[in-house]
Amino acid sequence: MKTLRQLRKLVLGETWSLPLGIGIALGIAALIHEVAGEWWEQAGGFILLGLAALALSISLGGVLIAHASQGRSARRR
Amino acid sequence: MAFVLTLIGAALAVGLEMLEALAIVLAVGLERRFRDSLLGTAGAAAALAALAVVLGPVLLSRVPLEPLRVVIGAFLLLFGLEWLRKGVLRLAGRRSRSDSFKEFVEEREALHELPPPPPGEADWAARAIAFKGVLLEGVEVILIVTALGARPGGLAPALIGGVVAIAAVIGIGLVAHRPLSRLPETHLKYTVGVVLSTFGVFFAAEGLGVEWPGSDAALLYIALAFVLLSQLQIAVISQRGRTAEAVAS
Repeated sequence: MKTLRQLRKLVLGETWSLPLGIGIALGIAALIHEVAGEWWEQAGGFILLGLAALALSISLGGVLIAHASQGRSARRR
Repeated sequence: MAFVLTLIGAALAVGLEMLEALAIVLAVGLERRFRDSLLGTAGAAAALAALAVVLGPVLLSRVPLEPLRVVIGAFLLLFGLEWLRKGVLRLAGRRSRSDSFKEFVEEREALHELPPPPPGEADWAARAIAFKGVLLEGVEVILIVTALGARPGGLAPALIGGVVAIAAVIGIGLVAHRPLSRLPETHLKYTVGVVLSTFGVFFAAEGLGVEWPGSDAALLYIALAFVLLSQLQIAVISQRGRTAEAVAS
């Protein structure tokens, strides 16, 4: 069981937010690709790059939220 | 451009993962017996070779090129962005730095507490620890090299990078008998994160019908975008961390 958990961590990483974010980013890109016109060939890569950057930022957002709540609880004390 | 980046990405990823495996193999060998450590390692190497033989031809010959690029891109993004996320947290001081030497010392301390096997009998505990350590680090290596090598023209640089890295790590193990303590592993892992994420976006977009302006030169500006974004994230997280600590004290 522990080895399976470690394997999952190796493939999907330590958080669920990053693999979910990557899945959603690729899903959105695939959807736009289906409905978009010729502009997708030139601009699609930058859209996917932006979505991947957003996925990374959201996965790191938890750390920023934790810092913010740490700061708030420290101020209350 | 793509050749050099694939070679660097494969060499760094394989080298860093194998350094972590080396830390476990050496710790088991020095604390117990090298024979059992090497038997566990050989078992893991055989399992990994079987995985590579199955995975490589399946990916390369059975899946059509366009969906294959999206799948490879997804895998590279999974690994790359995870390495990049950890790199950002480490460089921002919110996570301990990557250190194979420290892992080696900790593994030896943990093994020291295990009772030794009866004289003349096989040390299955030591074999299992070496097997599991090498297998877990090796699975990531196989997946990364397979993904980097699966694109047209990618197999040669991915294999050359991987083989050079494995030879270098084995050389370190034979000469030093311990992982290098002064290697900038955190920065190297951050670099691997940038390279793998870059290839991930590049391949996935190509699989979705994108024609990158500048062709392979796009790898450069994608990498630059990831470097700028991650450096910004490091600065923001460091700043927030310092503010939280100042308020707390």
